[in-house]
Amino acid sequence: MLIINGSTDDRGHEDPGHPERPERLAAALAGIEDLHLGDDLLAVAPYRASRAELVRVHESTYLDELGAFCYEGGGDLDADTYATYDSWSLAQYAAGAGLAVVKEMRIRNDGIGFVAVRPPGHHALRDRAMGFCLLNNIAITAAELTSLGERVLIIDWDVHHGNGTQAIFWEDPNVLYVSTHQWPLFPGSGASFEVGGLNALGTTVNLPLPPGATGDVLRQALEETAAPTIDEFKPTWVLVSAGFDAHRADPMADLALSSGDFAQMASLAASYAPGPGRLALFLEGGYDLAALQASVRATFGTLLGSDVATETPTSGGPGADFVKGNGDTREVALRLAHDASQ
Amino acid sequence: MNPFHTIAVGFDGSQDSKIAVRWALTLARHHDAQVVAAHAVGLLGRFDEQTVGAQLEESLFALCDETGVAHSRARLEVANGDACSVMLRMAEPPVSADLLVVGTRGQGAHPGLLLGSTSLELAEHSPIPLVIVPSAPSTGQASATSRHESM
Repeated sequence: MLIINGSTDDRGHEDPGHPERPERLAAALAGIEDLHLGDDLLAVAPYRASRAELVRVHESTYLDELGAFCYEGGGDLDADTYATYDSWSLAQYAAGAGLAVVKEMRIRNDGIGFVAVRPPGHHALRDRAMGFCLLNNIAITAAELTSLGERVLIIDWDVHHGNGTQAIFWEDPNVLYVSTHQWPLFPGSGASFEVGGLNALGTTVNLPLPPGATGDVLRQALEETAAPTIDEFKPTWVLVSAGFDAHRADPMADLALSSGDFAQMASLAASYAPGPGRLALFLEGGYDLAALQASVRATFGTLLGSDVATETPTSGGPGADFVKGNGDTREVALRLAHDASQ
Repeated sequence: MNPFHTIAVGFDGSQDSKIAVRWALTLARHHDAQVVAAHAVGLLGRFDEQTVGAQLEESLFALCDETGVAHSRARLEVANGDACSVMLRMAEPPVSADLLVVGTRGQGAHPGLLLGSTSLELAEHSPIPLVIVPSAPSTGQASATSRHESM
């Protein structure tokens, strides 16, 4: 069963001409409709995240300022990020969507979650909007889960490094953050020597990859560099920052994945979940509408065992040397950090 | 002893950032320092990164001429990230600046609002001395160019 958040009208968060636009969410949902899930699709009621749930991740002053900024009409928060009058309310619903989906999954102890929301979240910092993101949706849900004693693996396959999520959990040993992303690219963080703070050494795993990297390289990076850390961490939940802008058709970056690659990455992510009802995917980027729809269809079709056609997974691109280098750099960084902490 | 070897200054082409660059170049001339003009490339910046970079470099060298600083003492550093993160990175190797300089407001931020202010963010987080150069009285507040005009 696919458990998805009930939709809210997100058209109030729009800046004409901006690539982070309402049509993105419509394309993602069209990918789900393509699967004709019938009774295997459950939509949970929209829910606005409470102040107490938000302050686990964000500073109170930032929340106050963001709310006031929106109620005054909004505008540009930085060169990339906008907010409108409706954005504050919609961002709270986007944050609450993850909480509602995971709550339903916990009750049922079953299902696969899809948090289909905008604005996206993984660039949002504790005290700052950034990279189209206002509130860090996946971090808010992960923080809720850790407050319940869970150990959360976050896999972030958006083409951009999730700097906000990394920073929020930098010192949290109960969250393992694993990111594949293009390098160099915005936001400029996500080097393989970034391995976590002194209280959580090793719980950040960065797998930067060069432009043109194909799906086989991403899977290799996950299986060779991240998998041993994941096995050792023993997650009780798996959340995915599922951006689909690593698709070869996406205008925002230069990785070369197909929709079939996302399906394979999703299967890999599912293999790390300890049982049913412990895997939820959060929509992040993805700006080519056709590629977004096809990738969502392939991802969830594969996870749910539907007979769905996907593009052929890609292979042969550059980056195998990056994978080796990432692993070596990570080992050195961990050793140096351990020595420094003695 | 020379207190400054490398001065990093935020540069996005706005009037306020030009004032900051001019100030940094003048200081560099007095202290025989290098100036790194840092330009942050955001998510949307990738679409015209090369064009904007060339324009900013031309503008930087014009400001060098204006302040009497040799071109060899200044360079443009184009880096991925938001303005605050990029400036904080200038304090780390390989640039290792010993002073950060920014204007009061760059492009894309709202005058009068705390939110989105690079200078205030830097004031909170910078590990090295920071100078915030105020707008010239004649120019008033920051330019009102929109994101689409500025990128």
